[in-house]
Amino acid sequence: MKNIIVKANAGALTNFEVLDLLNSRGASKDTTRVIASETVSRSEYKVYDYLMETAASTQTRESVTKFSDKCKDFKLAKAEILNIINLRPSSDVELTPILEKPDEREIDIEGILALVQELLPPLPTVEAQKENEQEETENDEQS
Amino acid sequence: MFCLSELEDTVRVPPSDLNLPLEVAIKKALQKLFLDKVLSIGLCVAIYGIKSIEGGFVLPGDGAATYKVVFRIVVFRPFVGEVIAAKFKESDSNGLRLTLGFFEDVYVPAPLIPTPNRCEPDPYNRNQMRWVWKYGDDEFIIDDSCQNISYPPVPTERAEDAKPFAPMVVTGTIDDDGLGPVSWWEACAPISDDEA
Repeated sequence: MKNIIVKANAGALTNFEVLDLLNSRGASKDTTRVIASETVSRSEYKVYDYLMETAASTQTRESVTKFSDKCKDFKLAKAEILNIINLRPSSDVELTPILEKPDEREIDIEGILALVQELLPPLPTVEAQKENEQEETENDEQS
Repeated sequence: MFCLSELEDTVRVPPSDLNLPLEVAIKKALQKLFLDKVLSIGLCVAIYGIKSIEGGFVLPGDGAATYKVVFRIVVFRPFVGEVIAAKFKESDSNGLRLTLGFFEDVYVPAPLIPTPNRCEPDPYNRNQMRWVWKYGDDEFIIDDSCQNISYPPVPTERAEDAKPFAPMVVTGTIDDDGLGPVSWWEACAPISDDEA
């Protein structure tokens, strides 16, 4: 089966965008999975489950666009903005590994953290995560 | 973590699907071909959309219609230096193994675990080894209390046929500030949300 890769990288996607795509195809969190499984396959559901536990599940398109616009003022690389949106660091120690050589570039860490607090919704709560763990019937992930 | 890739391929729609609307039938065939498969560009996660369809010829001796399709797929391909949150799955004397739910071959080899550390047999689970990080006087256990570990993937390897069970492997390190189980750094968060 010959296939030609026209463009290996036609654009990076934030976790939010992938989640949005799966949502628009009908993926949802509860037991209506069986009905939606016409359009969303099992392996796509695994991605969906993973993303629902990350910051992406509480983000909106508007907040993400606004955030990436504002980030331009901070002179961040595109990959760093992507990582920040995906991980939503809430403290200095979480933000530093994302940035490359922050000291040499004089990055305003406080400013970025304040922007994250302001624009990006907080992570899903731990209680919700624990419920997820119990809800899953097939625990491939946990040995 | 994810990116879009544009591909062009010749897709064969089986005769049983020819009563479906064309796009649906082609999408179905594409999903079967690409979903959850590792290509040279990464792990294909979802079909993003179809850009163009050509053809529709029926080759002699075959009941199926063949189309030339240009489409975009969502590919999981972490870049070098990316920080990812994953769940701890198991550990052995070579290092840790983490999982992302849809992708289970994330390894943190022993040299990339913050030193000094030691590996000891797990008192709770006979088959597994437990890694403990010794920092100052405290010891931190890397355990599986369902917490996220962040790590930057060091180059991803795609062994062609070397490992039949792992066509794509992501190697990460947790040997840096802010990396490792989330619980290690919770105490440091000045602006803390109420959860991990």
